[in-house]
Amino acid sequence: MQTFGRRALGVTAAGLAAALAISGCSGEKLAGNGGDSGGGEGQITLKVNYFGDMGQQMLKERFEKANPNIKITLNSAEFNAHHEDLQKKLVAGSGAADVVAVDEGFMVKFKAQGDQFVNLLDHGLGSAESRYLPWKWKNSLTADGKQIGMGTDVGGLAMCYRTDLFKAAGLPTDRDQVSALWPTWDKFIATGQTYTKASGKKFIDSGTNLFNPVLGQQPVGFYDEKDQLQMEGGPKVAFDVSMKAIEAGISANLVSFQPGWNQGFNADKFAVLACPAWMLGHIQQTAPGTKGKWDIAAIPGGGGNWGGSWWTIPAQTKNAAAAAKFIEFATAPEQQIEVFKTVGNLPSQPALYKDQAVLDFKHPFMSNAPTGQIFAKTAESLKPQYLGVKHGKTREDVEKVITQVGEGKVKPGEAWPKAVEAAQKVASS
Amino acid sequence: MSLTQIRPAPPAPEQRSASISKSKLWWHRFDTKAVPYLLIAPFFVLFAIFGLFPLIYNAVVSLRHWRLDDPKKTGWAGFENYTKVFADDVFWNALGNTFGIFILSTVPQLVLALIIANLLNHKLRFTTFWRVAVLLPYVTPVAASTLLFAMFFQRDSGMANWFLSMVGFGQEEPLNWRAEKWSSWIAIATMVNWKWIGYNALLYLSAMQAIPKDVYEAAAVDGAGPQRQLWQITVPMIQPVLIFTVVLSTIGGLQLFNEPMLFDENPALASGGSDGQWQTIAQLIYQVGWRNGNLGSAAAMSWILFLIILVVAGINALLTKRLGGGR
Repeated sequence: MQTFGRRALGVTAAGLAAALAISGCSGEKLAGNGGDSGGGEGQITLKVNYFGDMGQQMLKERFEKANPNIKITLNSAEFNAHHEDLQKKLVAGSGAADVVAVDEGFMVKFKAQGDQFVNLLDHGLGSAESRYLPWKWKNSLTADGKQIGMGTDVGGLAMCYRTDLFKAAGLPTDRDQVSALWPTWDKFIATGQTYTKASGKKFIDSGTNLFNPVLGQQPVGFYDEKDQLQMEGGPKVAFDVSMKAIEAGISANLVSFQPGWNQGFNADKFAVLACPAWMLGHIQQTAPGTKGKWDIAAIPGGGGNWGGSWWTIPAQTKNAAAAAKFIEFATAPEQQIEVFKTVGNLPSQPALYKDQAVLDFKHPFMSNAPTGQIFAKTAESLKPQYLGVKHGKTREDVEKVITQVGEGKVKPGEAWPKAVEAAQKVASS
Repeated sequence: MSLTQIRPAPPAPEQRSASISKSKLWWHRFDTKAVPYLLIAPFFVLFAIFGLFPLIYNAVVSLRHWRLDDPKKTGWAGFENYTKVFADDVFWNALGNTFGIFILSTVPQLVLALIIANLLNHKLRFTTFWRVAVLLPYVTPVAASTLLFAMFFQRDSGMANWFLSMVGFGQEEPLNWRAEKWSSWIAIATMVNWKWIGYNALLYLSAMQAIPKDVYEAAAVDGAGPQRQLWQITVPMIQPVLIFTVVLSTIGGLQLFNEPMLFDENPALASGGSDGQWQTIAQLIYQVGWRNGNLGSAAAMSWILFLIILVVAGINALLTKRLGGGR
């Protein structure tokens, strides 16, 4: 009995210690997360979830200055995870941030759950309609006429290239001359082969970053307007271009938006990159040391769009009014121009394309390229593509097949059936 | 009770104490009979809440449709989740990966730990330093060390390829560690081994130090070399600890999650490479449950994994017992 008692005591002590440790941990976590209600009286804390670079830091500072009773907490996540997280929180009915950015690839999916979002028309944002590109406004409008998002930016499309690397390989560096090198994607790949032969280096970053812009140029994407998978149309064209580039040996085969790719910017692993306007922000963030070495030329095939986002407010928020205030502020012309200037994201409000501040703007990071003029031209002539409900996930899985080709696991000639199979699996899930 | 009556002890004090207070007696009985259980209860209460309940609830969920992305798909599914999992190539691929990585990590890990423990058991300079040093990887947070390893195995600028190039491999085309099954398995197994060898070595060491010296002396007199001493004296005599580490690393190895997860170029995908070349079951459960939002299917897989672990841990424990006792 005696020994049993003593041993039991020891075990209990350990158990108690563990229990204390557990409760201690959770207590700490609660304190850390307790941003819901904010500090003092009348003080509101808005949680803003976003991905990439949307000029959020500048928006936060300006907004907090103009609204001393509202505090903004910013939270950034990986692109896919960000959207999945929102979906989970919507189904769970709690936990979503007050303001959430949604990319065009996922907008259709969330639009179908329109009642999960605050109708911005109820908050007096309907008057902004006239400022927007009609299709941008329409893309976040639900079937029953609710507006669930205010457009932030559109992608537009251009090619960013490294003037120093081009020069070293004996290619022209002037942006008009470079544009003339590649009126078509075939010519583009041929230019890449010239570059690779001359420099011994790879030309493009990855097959997926050719696939996406080429797909963006097609009239029909993965899905038609009836949400039927259409792999043999646009996706096949885009897939073939990416296969051709990988086969030609001009791709560095890095996985885009991941550490190796980011290192590639600094280590001169590639000389050219498909550039929607929002990519400028990413380049500046990842490779500040390459300032002044980039320039922008036209994209082969002309025009097209890749990406672009909206600010939305999940209906479960307790701070709808304040959140709407933030969105209104963030999408106001002054802030849109500032985001454009600091990050590069192209506003989705056409009046701004004619704004002198945008037209005259020369991007210092990109060899003073007139990014306003370049991207505005692509955005205005744009015919938007319908993106299916499952566009985001389909793209992810088809991209994986392209990555496998880049890794040498799958031969370029045998990849297409695999891509179709992957897409069909998503479409039927 | 009858024993005390036979005893010729003075009856007076006993009667007195009985009459003094009945409550004291009650307290005494409570103290000896119930308190031990009360004191060990916290563990079992915690286990019931965080171990048993999730286990049972998981089983219930595995028999239901539960979609995070589509709240309308709900209701009982019977064994549909299970049959679908068994029919899915992705599951078998993940199972194969899990076992592949498990074997690549567990076997070298325990053998090396044994060898290191044996070395540490000799008289060395700076004993404490060595013992602390082997434990350092265990103290390092997995996330930190794995991120470092992910860089170490980078295709273009990783140190692993740098070492390889120094001995003449991968001059033309650097090895893409993430591209193939074998290379990614080795990379992940390396992370696991690095972390756990020291921990197991110290466990073995403490068991070894409990072995009486005279056994070795007797063996040495009989002409047994260090090699024979290790396998015929040390290993059998630390068998309980061996079984413990085998079972523990079986459980850990089959639940492998952090390392494969963070090894990915894009950890958020949880896909274990472009073709799932190193996706483990635990990763698949996460992907199916939290990314694809199919909780029913994920719960079914969790239960399958649970059963697999029970069986494999049992087999391993039996084998280890044989190994220790047989020789």
